[in-house]
Amino acid sequence: MSDNGILRIIARFLIPLILLVGLYIQFHGEYSPGGGFQAGVVFAVGWILYVLIWGLERGLKVISLKAMYVLSAAGVLLYAGTGLLGVLLGGKYLEFYPLLESPHAAQQAGIIVVEFGVGLTVATVAMLIFTLFARRRSEWIAALEQDDPEQRP
Amino acid sequence: MSPNELFDLLILALLIVCALAIARTKDLAAAVILFSVYSFALCLLWVHRGAPDVAMTEAAVGAGVTAVLFFYTLTRTGRREK
Amino acid sequence: MTLLSFFNYWVVIILMMVGFYCVIARGNMVKKIMGLNLFQTSVFILFVSAGKIVGGSTPILRDGVEVYSNPLPHVIVLTAIVVGVAITAVGLALAVRIQEAYGTIEDDHLRDDFDEEDD
Repeated sequence: MSDNGILRIIARFLIPLILLVGLYIQFHGEYSPGGGFQAGVVFAVGWILYVLIWGLERGLKVISLKAMYVLSAAGVLLYAGTGLLGVLLGGKYLEFYPLLESPHAAQQAGIIVVEFGVGLTVATVAMLIFTLFARRRSEWIAALEQDDPEQRP
Repeated sequence: MSPNELFDLLILALLIVCALAIARTKDLAAAVILFSVYSFALCLLWVHRGAPDVAMTEAAVGAGVTAVLFFYTLTRTGRREK
Repeated sequence: MTLLSFFNYWVVIILMMVGFYCVIARGNMVKKIMGLNLFQTSVFILFVSAGKIVGGSTPILRDGVEVYSNPLPHVIVLTAIVVGVAITAVGLALAVRIQEAYGTIEDDHLRDDFDEEDD
């Protein structure tokens, strides 16, 4: 769809804004509505808009399929690791008070790190679901162009 | 009737209209667009009911990701319902 | 005020039945998944309405707010929305696979295919 001027220019204007809103929701999540899940989905929607306009190949240059798998696992690891760090330092699971000197700062830092893990996982998993749908379609179109029924997935 | 209640009734009426249109239309692409409209109306309703976080999720997930997934399925399965 | 709350429950029931109709009476699988989504959102409306307090504000911590709607249904609904997206994605993936295997996602055509295989 990148040959349509209106679409291209509007998207070029909108995509950075969408990504910025995603980051805003992420880092203001602890005291305003929103949080990791909403931020992750909004961030992924920005990338999906990019793919809808410029195609999956250019989208996968931004973030590759392998990077999505790794990052989606890394987000869960960050969440669980932060929780276990509290256990190692003498608290309970997901208790942040032992992490830093001041309890208030520790609570805030802990929740930001945990939410960042959630956001990372949600964003990459939303991208992954979309990519798997879109890739199957592009494989099908490639098989149609070769006109080879055997190759058709 | 206060303006608050009127707003509530209008959104709920819009929801019913959208749902009936989704059930009736034979054109699946139109149904997906109507589903997006339904999600945005629902998003307004959440804000009005005092649930901004649910509204945010509904706008991003219901109207964004789900509609795109439906469209990618339709490119494969055809847009006319028989 | 009671009229408004009753109207709300009627809307929930109507939306639920429209979704149910789409699931059981429409043959197209994409339409069935849409009906499932309608059904689900009607339940969300029921839940969030249960937490609403008339005259209450949003449940955000700030000065001068004493009355706010109950945030517990919001969190439950948030979880349900996440599950709903997963269900939709799995259902659509299944629809695509059925289309690839049988060439149709209409219930009636699929049943004809099965009957021919039996004979």
